[in-house]
Amino acid sequence: MRGFRLRSRAPSSGKPEPGPSRASPHVPATVQTPETPRFFTPREHPLYGVLHAPAAPVRDLVVVHVHGLGVEQITTYRAEVLCARAVASAGVPVFRYHARGHGDSTGDFSGVTLDTLAEDAGHAADEARRLSGAARVVWLGVRFGALAAARAAAARADSAGLVLWEPVHRGAEYFRGMLRAMLYSQVAAGHKPDRSVDQLLDEVESAGQVDVHGYYLHRAIVRSTREATLSGTLGTWSGPTLLAQLQGRSQLAAPHEALLAELRGRNSPVASFLHREDLGWHYTQNPAWECPPLVQATREWIDALE
Amino acid sequence: MPWSESPAELACARGERPEIVASPLGDLIGILTPPAPGAAPNGRAVILLTRPRSHRNRMWVEGARRLALSGHHAFRFDYHGCGDSGGDSAYLDPNQPYRGDVVAAIRHLRATHGLGRFVVFGSCFDARTALSAFADEGDALDGLVFVAAPVVELADMTLVRADHRDWKGLGGTLRNPENWRALASPARWAYMAKMVARMARRSALGPEATPELPLSRSFREHFQALVRSRARALFLYGRDDDEYRSFHVAERTLFPKLSAADRARFEIEVWPGHVHGFLEMTRQRETFQRVLAWIEALPA
Repeated sequence: MRGFRLRSRAPSSGKPEPGPSRASPHVPATVQTPETPRFFTPREHPLYGVLHAPAAPVRDLVVVHVHGLGVEQITTYRAEVLCARAVASAGVPVFRYHARGHGDSTGDFSGVTLDTLAEDAGHAADEARRLSGAARVVWLGVRFGALAAARAAAARADSAGLVLWEPVHRGAEYFRGMLRAMLYSQVAAGHKPDRSVDQLLDEVESAGQVDVHGYYLHRAIVRSTREATLSGTLGTWSGPTLLAQLQGRSQLAAPHEALLAELRGRNSPVASFLHREDLGWHYTQNPAWECPPLVQATREWIDALE
Repeated sequence: MPWSESPAELACARGERPEIVASPLGDLIGILTPPAPGAAPNGRAVILLTRPRSHRNRMWVEGARRLALSGHHAFRFDYHGCGDSGGDSAYLDPNQPYRGDVVAAIRHLRATHGLGRFVVFGSCFDARTALSAFADEGDALDGLVFVAAPVVELADMTLVRADHRDWKGLGGTLRNPENWRALASPARWAYMAKMVARMARRSALGPEATPELPLSRSFREHFQALVRSRARALFLYGRDDDEYRSFHVAERTLFPKLSAADRARFEIEVWPGHVHGFLEMTRQRETFQRVLAWIEALPA
């Protein structure tokens, strides 16, 4: 493991100290909590992660962020960082990481599946608990990451809560929507698409991948989620759940409402938050997307967890 | 083809370490990739300026590990207000590059790791930030890769587009209902009014009567710093990039004034189609390979 602890705004001491405990003075400019970027190696391939430690822990919880897939990992990245800082400043440690095939971690994106994403989420939770000393895990799943977070949460006894940011409910529908949006963007740019969504999905199967806005959509991830549903994955989940909808509409979307109804039926304490904004999930914004109301709602919900 | 991590690249990744760079507007988080085990270090660090630091399709994560195999140090980091870094975000205007951030990164690598020679790379805003480093650190820089960046003020980019449109094309634009909906915005009205006025002038008086657009002040200042250095540079554009249309002004007005020796240090490549954006995989890979090959071929 390689990493170091970030603490104050004192000038750098120069050369880094050797070994896993080497420290580098640092405080983010906006939130005064220590942050520790590091690599951890749960298997033979290192993963990148950041621990946001509270100045004074007040809860026996650690929040683990499970990011979205491919480009969505970067479109929501800054909002996740700001949320982690806000939650840590309220006394709850947060661990963010890059799953294999994403960001600074190792591994091929072509080999990413729902299984590998859930496995990495579990490794991240182990690392988060080890670093923070907390016994219970609150999962924050973003978009496609909600499927992985749900699978990890349902499989572990230490799961204490689940936050879902605009969750993907069905893998197959998600990929169809992704391809439909790409074709629509071609039409908007004045080009007539030369293939349909079904033809593109056939190409994923036969060729192994198709180009979607400068990212490959790979056969492995499509196959791995063909039957995956959020509702099915959470079939036995009854823990506290916050669902945050990020859409232009003013009412909860039907799949969100149905999931919450199922959870209520199991006496799960559920809450929802609506933020009216239509996001282009496949495009980075200038400046990067931030969402203070979402951060505030997430922080308040975690703060109120028992 | 998709990037498939080789055992050698995985070995490079195992050597990577997070770094904290103190900068005036917020501490910067980056990843340093040292030369690969077994590769002879060439003493040169390549600073990959991207947003966020992995960039679309992780192309500069792959790039850092590839460069490590040829003996380079590579450093990718998040600007202040971006990614993991501290500080507050703001609209990124290429004409106001984050010079303080890139200079802080260079000085950190020098002070902390003893690195003395640098190459800077960037595309669009990041290219302008890479170029701005020459104003402070020109003597330490051996190379610049400058991809598809605008070099006029953003307000003038509207006029750049107008100079390359015709009335038929504008008519096609107006047949798209989405564009009419966009006219609900006053900013869009102003944009269209400027464009139509420029096109009308060109139609009535001819292109020769249309005044040359000015290069941005910061571009001229930083370009002159590049000229004063001894660095080599690659300027890479797509012929259909709006950004190239702005750079063409520099080709007409700045480059002809260079001495033969200075001009010989700079390569300009203009490829068919688009380079800006990295939104299409074939062109993304072509650009990636060209950038790495150019850096690896830099004279010692």
